[in-house]
Amino acid sequence: MPFTEALRLAVATIFASKLRSFFTLLGIIVSVAFLVAVVAVIQGMNAYVRENLTGAIIGTNAFQVRRIPISLGLLSDEEIRELSKRPIVSRADAEAVERALPDAEAVALQSGYPTPVSDVVYGNQSVGGVLIFGVTPPYLTVQDYQIAAGVPITEIDLRGRRPNVVIGWDIADKLFRTPESAIGEKVRIARREFTVIGVVASKGTTLGQSFDGFVLIPLPMFEGIWGRRGTTTVSVKMRTPQELPGAMARAEEAMRLAHRLGPREDNDFTVDKADALVAFWTSLTALLFTVVPAVVCIGIVVGGIVIMNIMLMSVSERTREIGIRKAIGARRSDIRKQFLVETVILSCLGGIQGVLAGWGLAVAVATFTPLPARVSTWSVGIALLLGVASGLIFGVYPAARASRLDPITALRSE
Amino acid sequence: MTDQAIIRLAGITREYLMGGERIRALAGIDLEIGRNEYVAIMGPSGSGKSTMMNVLGCLDTPSSGQYWLNGHEVSRMADDDLARIRNREIGFVFQTFNLLPRASALSNVELPLVYAGTGARERRSRAEEALARVGLAERMHHRPNELSGGQRQRVAIARALVNRPSILLADEPTGNLDSATSVEIMRVFGELHAEGQTVVLVTHEPDIAEHAHRVVVLRDGRIDTDRRVEHPVGAASAVA
Ligand SMILES: Nc1ncnc2c1ncn2[C@@H]1O[C@H](COP(=O)(O)OP(=O)(O)O)[C@@H](O)[C@H]1O
Ligand SMILES: [Mg+2]
Repeated sequence: MPFTEALRLAVATIFASKLRSFFTLLGIIVSVAFLVAVVAVIQGMNAYVRENLTGAIIGTNAFQVRRIPISLGLLSDEEIRELSKRPIVSRADAEAVERALPDAEAVALQSGYPTPVSDVVYGNQSVGGVLIFGVTPPYLTVQDYQIAAGVPITEIDLRGRRPNVVIGWDIADKLFRTPESAIGEKVRIARREFTVIGVVASKGTTLGQSFDGFVLIPLPMFEGIWGRRGTTTVSVKMRTPQELPGAMARAEEAMRLAHRLGPREDNDFTVDKADALVAFWTSLTALLFTVVPAVVCIGIVVGGIVIMNIMLMSVSERTREIGIRKAIGARRSDIRKQFLVETVILSCLGGIQGVLAGWGLAVAVATFTPLPARVSTWSVGIALLLGVASGLIFGVYPAARASRLDPITALRSE
Repeated sequence: MTDQAIIRLAGITREYLMGGERIRALAGIDLEIGRNEYVAIMGPSGSGKSTMMNVLGCLDTPSSGQYWLNGHEVSRMADDDLARIRNREIGFVFQTFNLLPRASALSNVELPLVYAGTGARERRSRAEEALARVGLAERMHHRPNELSGGQRQRVAIARALVNRPSILLADEPTGNLDSATSVEIMRVFGELHAEGQTVVLVTHEPDIAEHAHRVVVLRDGRIDTDRRVEHPVGAASAVA
């Protein structure tokens, strides 16, 4: 039997009993949807964390005063609604914190999430996906950034609204031959011209990601272009870890005073150590990356076994049909092909429905929860592949069983 | 006669094991059937008629003995070769019609051509031709459950004929039909035979057997009698 015939026959059989086909596929649909949705959320979180971690304190002995806590993903809708009522952390707040912490090594103000992503263009070359931060000069100290070439951003750049930028190592590496040759060069960011005054030495990779793909712009200049962020953050660096708890308490006190909070009122800000995010993310990804593949594998195997069982049932229900086909000249390979094609098409359909469902789920998650989600093509590919593979694997046995039926016995069955 | 024989059976036996007991459904059959013969197989219930037809139709393989079809020894063939023989050389008509219930008459008749690898257009025209030949041109888009018993058996006959088999086998083709319809179906077999088709059919009704030109009677898995019919019914009415 030619393949096209087998295909036509399979489609006809599947659509003759749509509801049953759907239930046969439920396992595959759910597993594939789950895979696509969860990967989309992980990818979304990854992007979120990348944008945050690069701006968050990777430096030691540091903490932040934020409007929204770092571990955003763990909050309920109710809490998110409450958080959105909080006032923005302002320059005055930064100054209040600074006054309360004369022993701090540095107190900086920086633009927060969402971090704008832009191309950086130099001549006819460009680097895409660069994270743009608006910062005050102490930011470089807070982050433990070493200047590899040139000079850091200064108060003069800030006050004079000079279009000067300090670029991360990755940008310098991609656009210039040496860090030194970058200094004084003009680059274009968001259709504006900036002068490179400094290059930050590489921090290497953390959690498998590079955090050197950024550009630092004086905060007022940044806010002039991208607007004021509702998530502007104060970052503080102390000299020793022992000073941290006391410093955090004093910062909290200063913030409560600055925001004129009564003794019974809750904080309308959060004082957080930056490693909270790293810890949160490491534990979450560790969990997700062990649980998700396991759950998906179990789902696919269970889904495959369901398909196999239903196909075996279908073979026994259609024993007489198989007998008829054999009696008029179907070879074993024809029968095998018929059932295998049917199972594979079934599982393909399951895979497609699963991808659509997973996509919908990811969009729903992104819309109705604070979790970001990004559907990635590779997860869709893998999900479809898994669906089809399970059909192929679990279809072999029922198909073989059908093909080995003896024509006389098959014809006699009712 | 030998060079003209389509079917030659030599010492064919077929044994079944049932609960440790050996049942000899066929106990040594020697038989030759020539081109364009019209043979009726008769005999009491359980005498081995169906078993013999299944062996002739390559649906079943004998326990011992040899079976030549058109000079090829079928009794030694492997599964796929038997499928090919069933597809090209044999048209089998069953008592219970054995049509695919969800397929139209046309699709049912096309099916052997699908397995023969015939192209879609030729398949359709040959299936239509076969249906026209059994007088069902009008009903080809009907499903089996929309057809009467006699019409279903005609579809089955069309399906058996569509690949132009060298032999048409029918195991009690009128067993599920009333007597008027049986006569109609027997007329179809008579006409096919008159057109040159070799026909072997099983029946336990003597008046049905009288349509054939030769009657072979089985008893306990052996050939009891093998006689010529002097004035076959079908031939007389075909001439008239
Ligand atoms: N699959 C089988 N298993 C065991 N015995 C069988 C089987 N098929 C047929 N027989 C036995 O073989 C004998 C011949 O059966 P069959 O050829 O169907 O007779 P008929 O068609 O002449 O009525 C019977 O005794 C029957 O019980
Ligand atoms: Mg019988």
